Amino acid sequence: GDSWGIFAFLCAALCHLPAVPALNGTDELGAGQSIQKTYDLTRYLEHQLRTLAGTYLNYLGPPFNEPDFNPPRLARAERVPSATVDLELWRGLTDNARLAANYRAYSRLLCYLRGLDGQAGTAELRHSLGHFCSSLQGLVVSIAGVMSSLGYPLPAGTAAGPPAPAGTPATPNDFLKKMDDFWLLKELQTWLWRSAKDFNRLKKKVPPAVVTLRLEARGF
Amino acid sequence: SSTDSHIQYERVGADVTMKCGSMDRDATVTWTANGTDIDDSHLNGSYLVLKHVDLTQSGQYSCYEGSSWHLKYQTYLRVGLPPKEPVLMCRSNNYPKGFYCSWHLPSPTYIPNSFNISVIHGTREMICERDILPKNRCHIRYLQLFSTVKYKVTLTVTNALGKNSTTLTFDEFTIVKPDPPENVVAKPVPNNPRRLEVSWQNPSSWPDPESFPLKFFLRYRPLILDQWQHVELSDGTSHTITDAYAGKEYIIQVAAKDNDIGTWSDWSVAVHATPWMEEPKHLTTEAQMTETTSTSTSSFMPPPTTKICDRGARVGSGAVAVCWTAGLVLAAYSVFFI
Repeated sequence: GDSWGIFAFLCAALCHLPAVPALNGTDELGAGQSIQKTYDLTRYLEHQLRTLAGTYLNYLGPPFNEPDFNPPRLARAERVPSATVDLELWRGLTDNARLAANYRAYSRLLCYLRGLDGQAGTAELRHSLGHFCSSLQGLVVSIAGVMSSLGYPLPAGTAAGPPAPAGTPATPNDFLKKMDDFWLLKELQTWLWRSAKDFNRLKKKVPPAVVTLRLEARGF
Repeated sequence: SSTDSHIQYERVGADVTMKCGSMDRDATVTWTANGTDIDDSHLNGSYLVLKHVDLTQSGQYSCYEGSSWHLKYQTYLRVGLPPKEPVLMCRSNNYPKGFYCSWHLPSPTYIPNSFNISVIHGTREMICERDILPKNRCHIRYLQLFSTVKYKVTLTVTNALGKNSTTLTFDEFTIVKPDPPENVVAKPVPNNPRRLEVSWQNPSSWPDPESFPLKFFLRYRPLILDQWQHVELSDGTSHTITDAYAGKEYIIQVAAKDNDIGTWSDWSVAVHATPWMEEPKHLTTEAQMTETTSTSTSSFMPPPTTKICDRGARVGSGAVAVCWTAGLVLAAYSVFFI
């Protein structure tokens, strides 16, 4: 009984499609699909990172490649954007804020990742890093796409150019540099886990908006 | 007279020497164990010497002055073992609310033990609230989500004979493991001899399936086979099996996992179901021919043989033929049900 009602409604809606004033309807539909694509991309990247991080940490050598390595966070490492957030705060984020946080984080993470030691390890490792950076770039672009299709402005000050960390001298200490690399990879991994949850939430919220808009247009 | 009364813990296999309170070493005393006199061979003057104590020697030991029979000393001896390294497990079945840790000793100590658990997250020490039931369990609420810093949980077990501890270090995401799906129901589908409709619910301990959706793994097999068939479902809490063997009873189980992180739950309670079967019409007419008084409530019940053949034998040779037919029908039935 219910399914017939829905079917009838959908037929009616589709038949009257040309009469409905353009309400960015296709944009919302597009947003729903690109949210799914972005979600899929975070899963793909998370999977890629697992292999890449393992190889890179081996290149850094012990103790960075030890599974129980649990160093305290040094103040300098706070440059890298953290995914960690208070639970209620995270739940209460607006769609715009949620997307913006992801966009800002990955833009900066991409910068830092590109700044990883250009002479790192084997040619194979450098190639994997390059490939990962391209995929990560794709994620940033994908998030930007979702934001614009939903009508949100892109966060300011996150242009493609890598911001030279102002005032921070080049690290003379090899160990501290490796520590920075370790935390970068850790934050990247955590962000990818978080993004899966962020985009799950967004997935649920966007499609119903499409239906509601059409109802309003037909004066229901 | 004054008596000292206390509990004394000793290790299995140890040599125990008990003094009779303040009595001199060469005083005459009598020792009892749980009221029974102890043989003089265990005495060294007024000292009681127990060599290589075992668990059976736990009990109340009393020392009485020889002539006056005054109680001079009393102690409760408990023989036991120092604790071995405890077994600790931590798990988040209610992500993102928090996690719990539970523990046990791999072998008994036979004496009272106390447990102390500490949870350190970066620089912060967190309180793990002890559960009333089950006993050896505590739970923690997450203050932050998506943390890059590992949690370090240390469990220390202490008793009168020693202490031991174990530590677990883990990331927030790695310990996520939901409880199995609940209320698994499998039903036949009318007029579909190869289908079974399975439905279930999210585990009730999973607090937010909207934001943290679960995916599911279904496995099923006919009871008569060992090989499971598997289906992974990323959406929804129901599934229709469309390739069941007609007429065979199936066993079905479901497991759950967070869509993105952690590990699979244990398998749910198993449910059994048999696909819908058409009522075989030709068999009811055979039953009518043999004029059996035993009407079966279900057409799957074979009519009783003895009555038919007995009646047949009394009536005559014609009925014998009917008896044979009934026997053949039964034989056919039993093959069908194997």
